[in-house]
Amino acid sequence: MTTAASGPNRAPTRKQREGFLANAALTLIVFFALLPIVTTILISFKREEDVTRKPPVIFPCDTATSGFDITACRWSTEGYERVILAQPSESAPFGFQIRGRMLTTYLPNTVLYASVTGLLVVLLASLSGYAFSRYQFRGKMLLMTGILAITGVPLLTNLLALYQMGITIRKSGIPIYDDRIFLMLTYTGFFLPLSVWIAKGFFDAIPRELEEAALIDGLSPLGSLFRITLPLAMPGMLSIFLLTFVNVWNEFIAGYLLVSKNELKPAMFGMYDFLGQNIINAQVIAAASIIIALPMVVVFLLARRSFFRAMVEGAIKG
Amino acid sequence: MEQTVPAPLRDDSSASTRTKRKRRRIDWLPFWLILPTVLVLLAIQVYPVFYTLVLSVQERKPSGWVYVGLRNFERLFNASAVRESVGHTLIFLVGYVVLTLTLGFIIALLLNRKSRLSGAYITLLFIPWILADIIAGAVFRLLVLPDYGLFSGILQQPGIFGPNGLSVLTAPAPKPWFGEFPFPPSPALIYLILASVWRALPFVTILLLAALQTVSNEVIESSRIDGANALQTIRHITIPLILPTMVVALFSLTLGGMNGVGMVFALTAGGPGNSTEVLSYLLYSIGWSALDFGRAAALALMIAVVNLLLIAGTMRVTRLQQRSE
Repeated sequence: MTTAASGPNRAPTRKQREGFLANAALTLIVFFALLPIVTTILISFKREEDVTRKPPVIFPCDTATSGFDITACRWSTEGYERVILAQPSESAPFGFQIRGRMLTTYLPNTVLYASVTGLLVVLLASLSGYAFSRYQFRGKMLLMTGILAITGVPLLTNLLALYQMGITIRKSGIPIYDDRIFLMLTYTGFFLPLSVWIAKGFFDAIPRELEEAALIDGLSPLGSLFRITLPLAMPGMLSIFLLTFVNVWNEFIAGYLLVSKNELKPAMFGMYDFLGQNIINAQVIAAASIIIALPMVVVFLLARRSFFRAMVEGAIKG
Repeated sequence: MEQTVPAPLRDDSSASTRTKRKRRRIDWLPFWLILPTVLVLLAIQVYPVFYTLVLSVQERKPSGWVYVGLRNFERLFNASAVRESVGHTLIFLVGYVVLTLTLGFIIALLLNRKSRLSGAYITLLFIPWILADIIAGAVFRLLVLPDYGLFSGILQQPGIFGPNGLSVLTAPAPKPWFGEFPFPPSPALIYLILASVWRALPFVTILLLAALQTVSNEVIESSRIDGANALQTIRHITIPLILPTMVVALFSLTLGGMNGVGMVFALTAGGPGNSTEVLSYLLYSIGWSALDFGRAAALALMIAVVNLLLIAGTMRVTRLQQRSE
């Protein structure tokens, strides 16, 4: 403890001063952390003439006479319009039709990949995490250590082989197979190991006595897993789902390389494609970035406790 | 959410007969539960490693794959592009890891004061982590677009990058000081480091903050009473106590930094020249631009060996940590 209690009229104590300084420093850090995001939002609402100005302006609100005039702001949604490419159409439900590939193709693909992978990972990780948490068997330590070691294997070094495997399977002409299945399996295999460990940690926290009681009451071991333990583990499973969902959503290189047809590629490829096409059109790139990133930011803000739980659990293990 | 449900009254006699009967024969249930996971991991994680091994000793000729022994590795070691790329990777990793750990530690110390605003700060600081590396790269590219980027005005002084029309992302690397080793790095590599630090900071901050919260206040306070100032306390008490977590963070940053490639794609694509061509991007260009899969496999294996060493290091540290708890 630092000094004696301070009266109302005394100078601030050292503790108070330190607190003030820490808050000032944190505010500054938050400012710098969010600066790139804020400027991107600003850019996304500018017109092309304002984006390509020399020297650049932060707010498109200057006039011939004044540097900043709030009534003269030239905000525009041009960037978003060029990503969405809505066209009037008689037959479409809202009177227009969306033609931008980001919204018609890439984003729906990403939603599909992220949800299917998330569900698969939750299912597999909860089954094996449960087994690791509740049973003792030979080879358990070895298997768990193996899975932990795999956690660190990056997608990148396996990608070459996966790419060749993809070509071989594609050529073999299995009915209903397409690259999407292979991509989702790859994502599942890639995000599963850490999730197994996270799931085990969550199951360890659920008292065994509940299951034993269910067994006594006549449920089968699988029945007690699905009816008693899994419902209690739901918050943990939700964390795993969200973490996997975001990871797949944000993944680029596998989605880019393992899928051969452009119409099956995910949103991050669409973003990469946009970067190549719009070298000067910063407002279009900014708008596309925001359209792709906003859903994840919203999910994160709504469920941040879930994320932190999975991350801390996973980081300690992995 | 941990809930406690009152357990129903136990019928002790039937419980004991059940567990006895269970113990007598092998329970196959856990194997069935684990089997799907193991199968997926074998197909997606283990088999490709062996596949890469096989690829690395072959070369694609018009007639098909031909066994070439260790020639792919030889060609890698002899290529100056590879040696330079190792240099870029080392510079990138040192800058990225040192900056992220230092800044992350400082921010975690500030957050550990448990002020009323901590939750809000953590939430806001965490937003960059949720962004994809492609998006982060795009965002940072917009900031320094030649002529039009918001920061280009400041960074585009002729005094900093030489002739007009150059910017952070287009200025060439200065003449190297030590023979082939690409030091000092190009402005683009430094900018790549800064962008990567920006994205990795939240993760490291949270990791270190979680570790800091396990350090008891009494230890800190007693050292302050003994006359140590804030810096001495941090250096002699706090850092040793959270050292294992720092090492874990160091390993995982190195691992992530070595294998992350999205930022390079979106920000620099290896350029200008090859000044930001780190190993992960080189792997992509050898494999998918030059279509030299044998040589790319050899490179992937070498990266994988370094990865394995890092993972083994992390596991050792975490085990030590668990033992000491």
